[in-house]
Amino acid sequence: MAVEIVQPRLLVVEGKEDEMFFGALMRHLAIDGIQPISLQGKNNYRSGLKALTLSPGFNEVVSLGIVRDADADAQSAFQSVCDALKNANLPVPTAPLQLAGEKPRVAVIILPGGNQPGTVEDLCLRAFAHDTAMHCVDQYFECLQRRQENYSPPSNMSKARIQVYLASRPRAGLRLEEAAEAGYIPWQNRAFDEVKLFLHQVAS
Amino acid sequence: MYRSFEIKNFRCFDHLNLTDLARVNLIAGANNVGKTALLEALFLHCGAYNPELTLRLNAFRGILEVKVSVARQDESLWDSLFYQFDTSKKIELSGDNTVTRRRVLRLKVAHSSVESLVQRQPEDAMQASRIAGVSRALQTLELEYEEDKHKGKCILSLDQSGVLRMEPAPPPPPFPAFFQSASVQIAHSEDAERFSNMEIQGKQDVITQILRLIEPRLKRLAVAAVSGTPMLYGDVGMGRMLPLALMGGGMVRLASLALHIGNAPKGIVLVDEVENGLHHSILPRVWRAIGEAAREFDTQVFATTHSLECISAAHRAFSETECYDFRLHRLEKVNGVIRAITYDREALETALSVGLEVR
Repeated sequence: MAVEIVQPRLLVVEGKEDEMFFGALMRHLAIDGIQPISLQGKNNYRSGLKALTLSPGFNEVVSLGIVRDADADAQSAFQSVCDALKNANLPVPTAPLQLAGEKPRVAVIILPGGNQPGTVEDLCLRAFAHDTAMHCVDQYFECLQRRQENYSPPSNMSKARIQVYLASRPRAGLRLEEAAEAGYIPWQNRAFDEVKLFLHQVAS
Repeated sequence: MYRSFEIKNFRCFDHLNLTDLARVNLIAGANNVGKTALLEALFLHCGAYNPELTLRLNAFRGILEVKVSVARQDESLWDSLFYQFDTSKKIELSGDNTVTRRRVLRLKVAHSSVESLVQRQPEDAMQASRIAGVSRALQTLELEYEEDKHKGKCILSLDQSGVLRMEPAPPPPPFPAFFQSASVQIAHSEDAERFSNMEIQGKQDVITQILRLIEPRLKRLAVAAVSGTPMLYGDVGMGRMLPLALMGGGMVRLASLALHIGNAPKGIVLVDEVENGLHHSILPRVWRAIGEAAREFDTQVFATTHSLECISAAHRAFSETECYDFRLHRLEKVNGVIRAITYDREALETALSVGLEVR
């Protein structure tokens, strides 16, 4: 089933997981009228944004939000999004969380925010930081390191810490986006302030 | 081969500009957005100098008879060709192609008399006396053409007795063009004739190979006139030849398409709803075959579709070729105006892989 543009406000995300995660946050914020669209990987942003502008109904789009993980470097991630926007003849903001253009109005957020490297998992870890369970999560990895010879820690420690944390919840084994839908993410935490600002920009 | 094409004031188009045309062009879009009208405009432009082609357009849409009231002067035979039925403006069709380079066609309806037409062409005394003998013309369609080195005019008129006349006789078109309608089946005798043309050139195997995509048992094709009408027959190893028409609608349609391409060297083939009668599983192979045949005969193809499977199959088939001589053009109505949106290879690849709507 092909993805049709059905809302005048679009939120471009990297994957289906992000669609669910942001869907849950928007429900929490009571924001509707924003349609998340997954471009199935940041490497598709360049051609995907152009393809999106060619899609039926794009001329009705009034606002476009772009979400990307910073990965190793927030600045180069933002630059990469700007290049993709330029390639698609879309307005290019001067910085994350700055609006550009008129129709559509474009805003970009690079996660976890604050010009820091990382991903959406790091953003959530910031929100979990004061949860006592996180102390136990960190102790778990320290314990493995101490007790297991030749222990190789996970290559993506942020993702591993999230998974262990979520494994300790009443419905164990949920993935981050499922946990978001299940209500395990403390949206009221200030770690999400930038994301909330961004979503309100897209919704306005 | 067309590189670009522009339409003004024709059917549902106020103004449409189509660029980046390729060897094979697939036209997509919602219902009533002008896909067939675009093919019709191209057909008229290919016909170049012949206003009589305007009368065939309704037939392509399955309207085989039009009642003409000679008593009504406020309505002409050609009103439906004009944007919003407004015959006060000219239709203008212009295209850049590799044969005649830029050619502009202008069509206008006039309610002038034959006598006034003759006055405009006094150099042809023979023609003047010929026309002066007929009754007063009620409606005329004037076609003006303008191309690289010359320009000209041809007038089609309807007189009070309902007789159509064309003056002067138009020159032959600069390249062949065929229109394959979605609703009107091509006469079997026409397909038989086209097959015979290909047989004369020793190219008949191209058709047989393409039809094997649907019927792998097909050994050979032949023309036979069993009950007076020549028809195409196929040998599928049953001990006797079978009429192609008995092998299914898809077989007949694909044969017509292949025969059109084979009979339009350096020309144009226009196909409305190309996927009709074809199972989705053979579509990639059909597109590969269309691409190969179009390249071999140096033919340009314009086809319309509603099918995502058809678009995806075409993209996949042409992605396997070295040149990717294919474009998807989607027609979309924006604020009441129809525009064309063209997908290049990269945009279409991403749109299809991400699952974005392209129809």
